[in-house]
Amino acid sequence: MRLFWEFFTFELQLRRKSISTYVYFLLWFFFSFLCVASESFGPIGSGNGKVLLNGPFAATLNYVFISLFGVIVIAAIFGTSILRDFQRDTYQMLFTKPISKVAYLGGRWAGSLVTTVFAFSGCIFGEFIGTLAPWADHSRIGPNHFWWYVQPFLSITVVQIFVLGSLFFAVAALTRKIFVVYVQGAALFMIYLILLTIFFASRSLEHFWSGIVDPVGFILVNDITRYWTVVEQNSQLLSWSPHVALGLFLYNRLLWIGVGFVSLGAVWALFPMSVEALTARSQGRRAAKAKQQEELELRPVRSLVAAKIPRVHQDFSTATAWAQFISLSRMRISTILHEIPFWAIVVIMVGFAFNNGYFAGYVADVNVWPVTYLMLQSVEGSAELFLFIVAGLYAAELVWRERDVRFEGIHDSLPMNETVDWFSKFVAIAFVELVLLTFTLFACISMQTMTGYYHYEFLQYFKELYLVVFPQTLMYALLALFVQTIVSNKFIGHGIVIGVFVMVQILFNFGWENTLYLFGQTPAYTYSDMNSYGHFVPALFWSITYWLAICALFGVISIVFTRRGADSNWSARFKIAAGRAPRLIPAAALFLLIALGAGGWYYYNAHVLNEYLNADARRDIQAQYERDFKKYENFPQPKIIAVDSHIDIFPDRRSFSGWGHFTLQNKTSQPISQIHLTDANQALSNVQFDRSFHLVSSNSRHTYSIYAIDQPLAPGETVQLNFNVGWTSHGFRDGNEKPELAYNGTFFDSSYFPGLGYSTAGELDDPRRRREEHLPTLEELAPRGDPAQSLYNIFYKDSDWIKYHTVVSTTGDQIAIAPGYLKRQWQENGRNFYEYDMGSTSILDFHAYLSGRYNVRREQYKGVNLEIYYTPGHEYNLDDMLASSKDGLDYFQTNYSPYQFQQFRIMEFPRYRTFAQSFSNTVPYSEGIGFIQRILKKNDIDFTYFVTAHELGHQWWAHQLIGANVQGSNMMSETLAEYSALMVMQQKYGKDKMHRFLRHELDRYLRGRATEVRHEPPLALVQREPYVWYQKGGQIMYTLADYIGEDKVNLALHNFLMQYRFANATNAESAPYPDTRQLEAALRAQTPPELQYLIDDGFESIVLYDNKAVTATVTPTADHKFKVTLTVQARKVKADGNGNESPMTLNDYIDIGVFKGDKDEEQPLYLKKEKLTQEQNTFEIVVDEMPTRAGIDPYNKLVDRIADDNTIDVTKP
Amino acid sequence: MSVTISGLSKTYPNGVKALKNVSLNIGNNMFGLLGPNGAGKSTLMRTVATLQEPDSGTVQVDGLDVLKQKNEVRKVLGYLPQEFGVYPKMSAADMLQHLAVMKGITNSGERKEMVEALLQQTNLWEVRKKALSTFSGGMKQRFGIAQALLGNPRLIIVDEPTAGLDPAERNRFLNLLSSIGRDVTVILSTHIVDDVRELCPRMAIIAGGQLLIEGAPADSLAALQGKMWSKIVGGDDELRTLESQMQVISTHLVGGQHEVRVYADSNPGAGFRAVDSHLDDVYFLSLSRAAKN
Repeated sequence: MRLFWEFFTFELQLRRKSISTYVYFLLWFFFSFLCVASESFGPIGSGNGKVLLNGPFAATLNYVFISLFGVIVIAAIFGTSILRDFQRDTYQMLFTKPISKVAYLGGRWAGSLVTTVFAFSGCIFGEFIGTLAPWADHSRIGPNHFWWYVQPFLSITVVQIFVLGSLFFAVAALTRKIFVVYVQGAALFMIYLILLTIFFASRSLEHFWSGIVDPVGFILVNDITRYWTVVEQNSQLLSWSPHVALGLFLYNRLLWIGVGFVSLGAVWALFPMSVEALTARSQGRRAAKAKQQEELELRPVRSLVAAKIPRVHQDFSTATAWAQFISLSRMRISTILHEIPFWAIVVIMVGFAFNNGYFAGYVADVNVWPVTYLMLQSVEGSAELFLFIVAGLYAAELVWRERDVRFEGIHDSLPMNETVDWFSKFVAIAFVELVLLTFTLFACISMQTMTGYYHYEFLQYFKELYLVVFPQTLMYALLALFVQTIVSNKFIGHGIVIGVFVMVQILFNFGWENTLYLFGQTPAYTYSDMNSYGHFVPALFWSITYWLAICALFGVISIVFTRRGADSNWSARFKIAAGRAPRLIPAAALFLLIALGAGGWYYYNAHVLNEYLNADARRDIQAQYERDFKKYENFPQPKIIAVDSHIDIFPDRRSFSGWGHFTLQNKTSQPISQIHLTDANQALSNVQFDRSFHLVSSNSRHTYSIYAIDQPLAPGETVQLNFNVGWTSHGFRDGNEKPELAYNGTFFDSSYFPGLGYSTAGELDDPRRRREEHLPTLEELAPRGDPAQSLYNIFYKDSDWIKYHTVVSTTGDQIAIAPGYLKRQWQENGRNFYEYDMGSTSILDFHAYLSGRYNVRREQYKGVNLEIYYTPGHEYNLDDMLASSKDGLDYFQTNYSPYQFQQFRIMEFPRYRTFAQSFSNTVPYSEGIGFIQRILKKNDIDFTYFVTAHELGHQWWAHQLIGANVQGSNMMSETLAEYSALMVMQQKYGKDKMHRFLRHELDRYLRGRATEVRHEPPLALVQREPYVWYQKGGQIMYTLADYIGEDKVNLALHNFLMQYRFANATNAESAPYPDTRQLEAALRAQTPPELQYLIDDGFESIVLYDNKAVTATVTPTADHKFKVTLTVQARKVKADGNGNESPMTLNDYIDIGVFKGDKDEEQPLYLKKEKLTQEQNTFEIVVDEMPTRAGIDPYNKLVDRIADDNTIDVTKP
Repeated sequence: MSVTISGLSKTYPNGVKALKNVSLNIGNNMFGLLGPNGAGKSTLMRTVATLQEPDSGTVQVDGLDVLKQKNEVRKVLGYLPQEFGVYPKMSAADMLQHLAVMKGITNSGERKEMVEALLQQTNLWEVRKKALSTFSGGMKQRFGIAQALLGNPRLIIVDEPTAGLDPAERNRFLNLLSSIGRDVTVILSTHIVDDVRELCPRMAIIAGGQLLIEGAPADSLAALQGKMWSKIVGGDDELRTLESQMQVISTHLVGGQHEVRVYADSNPGAGFRAVDSHLDDVYFLSLSRAAKN
């Protein structure tokens, strides 16, 4: 026992004196501190705004995070505790003394455990101190509960340390190889990350076994908490109880603690306590070496007379310098390429590349063609990390190589120039990086081939990898070479280089976004198949030139200060440097000039030609607009009733200009004497009215201007507003390029045109940001029936319906598009002109202008022109889009109302923005979605089809019927469009296939709830919650159609539509728009009394079920049928906006079903809606064939927190 | 080739005075630099080998100022440091080839010839393709001298080359050194007196950073001839008595018994017999005289 204590305290002593222990402590301290004290740092901080930064969920997630990165730290501490004796050869002294195994191993292990726990406890202190920081966001910091700090630490971190520590300890003790010790931590880390990526990318909905076998905890926590509301996240810790979350946490901990004990057992059993056994391996090697030497020496005695050494010529010209350079480079490259760690890095990097590349074709739940830019995007992130690691690592190795192997005496006395020597190191690193990049290229192309895509774009690969990424790796190589030359310790040098890398990311996060002072930074850029690198090229080129020149300057300074000779103190080095400097001044001057030139040009473009606004500044502007002008929000304004415009687009200059002509009408009951204009994009000039007026005021940015009409506008009277509008791009920006303007694929909308009155569109949405700007909480939409707000529609306060006409022009090789029917098309001065007119058909005041080099696919369908404008090469889904348009037109015209337009057009725009949007008969559709979709398996959900149907649906739900500017109205356009698309899908795929889709919709709704920043509203009162109006709404409507009948729902919608569409289209005085009360009434009219509760629950409340199939057994009957006995549990709760739940009485109809077939491919043998009034229910069902599965609400038509347990396998009793 | 060192002084940043105003004149052939550990030999060697700067003093090599014309000196220099390591995974032949290029032997034919000859000369031909890191201590030293001989250097500096070699290795090594040509200057620095005795026609003894003796060993030996006396002593007490009474130079163990060597102008007393002076005596006597000062 005493011996154990000796070893234990000795280990602690060693660790106490080692600086690395404190470094680890501080590392975790600062991580936790920053997670709480700084904005948007860490997994919680950067997420939604209501989860407490020091709450139980936050602590849990942070500790899991630390456990992942801590893998390497744990490996380092536990591994080296055993290895020390074998590295320093003290084992011979130790093991010749009488020590016991338990004392030796136990003492070392226990010492390491205590040290590691101490080091990791930094996170507890860091979090606590963080809550005291005066500058932290205290609205997200709750009271400090001791147990909230300690329970996650014990449950996650301490268990982790025990498990992994014991495992690494065992591996180190049994192999006693330093290489294994260092690699095991990194290997586990890498493998875990790869498996994590695979799991999340596959979007598996498997939530049980994956959590149990997770050693670090990401998947475990996700499985347990993925649907937790904010209230739950701020009050619940992960429970060890077997009854909570199916006991996931308990089983996981038990499994891994078991692994820990097994490791300890293995060490105890297998570790040999004799020196002979411990050194057997190295003894053998030594014996072999000795034998070899003996053979060499024992040879016939040679004459002692020495032969003559030939005479040679020594040449010291520039040719020699070149030969020296080549020889040095070759030697250095060969050394790196012969190292095992290098190839280990290559293998891991290629592994990551293969792994990430495989999922390149899986973006946002959809399979897409793994086009080159996607492949590069997936692979580049991790590959870049490896490239930087290699640059830093080998720069250090090469700088210190001669000293590390103690060859510097010979090396430094060679007749060579330091510049030659330094260059050989630089070239070696550059060469090695090129090798790695080529491996990456190979991995990408392999993955593309393996997933069936053969359109390799080598030029793009070349540009991205060798012109954009390669220079950035050189920057880090040069930085590392410089740092390692100056600093006296290799590991401090590593720390500095890593520090620079990390600081750049952190600073950017904190709003320091200027490319000119962030090391190695390039501005954000997006590759598009429509534009290649397009307008991002100049900014990329100049920023890379700038930083490369600065790094080259670092390189020159490294040469000046290169160590040579035995004197390593600074006065000696300065003296030598002074001697070298004169020679290198021209090079230094050259690089300095290039840096100043490139930097100056960049500064001129980004800060002089363009206004430089970082994210904070942009938010300030938005906040200021709200502060200054919100008071005018309900100021009566006329409405736009007609728009005429002439727009000239100049794609090659990314500019446009033109004029606009609004007809405004006073639709209020009072005269209007002031007209307020919002110019959100600062694009307007020369504002004129057709009667005498004067400018009253305008803010400095002219985003809000107040004009007075000298003769007030009487009710019903009209006035003409004329203006010039345009945007000219100058030079390039430091990121934040306007995505609307591109060389190919211009797409901008009427937000460039004047808006009347105050616009809420620019208000800051995130409560965190609002608090920063000292703004009050975001104003909610008015309740339904509000007399003032009901006179406006939910989209635009400044218009109802308008007449629209425009002329738009573009360059001779592009097509320009705007809503409207093409009346005329002509050419003038090499430019194409198009005249579009909606004629007498009114549309919403929501229009767009597009221009691009398009191919066009046209088809006529039942009197409607279908057109798709696409970029050559993206033909994959055109048929799909057309099919969806036709199916949609059929369904919607049959069930709702005739289509009001003669055309339906889809046009592709660059992936700088990724959405699709429905204008009148015009749907711009991003390159990044839909156009490159790929259906791999028959069962895959066809999102292109779905989204096209959804956008077509909007032509009814929005462009015919639009709701008032009150709560709930958004659902009338979005939910109904979503429902419409679901119905079209169902018609094509059949009811059985819809289950899979609904499962995903349910999952997204529940996940959306967990990230709510304000409060969740019921569907009929929705405001800004997409997860409610898309996923929940779609499901509610689909289920309603299932329960009362599709035809009934459609009839209700038809009635509702016919009564309320085109509200305020023709009147001179505004009347109220419809809201969800009218929609509900229309639906209720078609719903039988016993099912009215569905509308109460679905629209007016937030209702969640907890349905579960408990047992299902089958017994054959006498007449060759099968009797199934099914017990189910059904429960129902009502939730408030924050997630607090209260139980509801059950009186509901729920599907009970029996199926044959495999899981996820079931076919129904029996499906009936039963009325359930109590929690436990048993059913006896007779079916004709052998059943496999049975359950309650098997298709997940009802919102259920745990969707998986609705059906179970049928077993024998 | 002549090497002139004048007034060389160096103090390290931690205060250690490594060289105190050392001046030496070295001509052709082998020159032995003798002294105990920490005497300043390596500092002196490194300074001449262009790897260190003194605080004051000059070093001239055939008219070249070593301190100001380092690269010129490196062209004619061959240096074998006291302790050196090797790059992993490089073979002896490849390394010699590379170093030959570094020494300006650009003609590939000449280079090949030289490398082969050196490998043969140092008995490394059989193992030329093996990695240097697998070499034994003696083989590594042989490689070291091979690389120092690349390019026919006119100044060869060899720092403590035989420490750690077994007797056969040491013998071979010294043979190799002595076979190097007549108009080459070899400075051999060592604390093993026999190395100097066997090889060097001229030597210097340096201790505590200071030059004690410079000249031909033969002359130093002659100066001590007839003044060295030897006696077998009984025990420690007698030894202590002798040490306090007269100048004891050294003691040896001969067959388990102590034999003392004493310096005296005439026979110091009973039991002493006259013996020939050895170089060790010169060495120890110089050191003890310096210690007294």
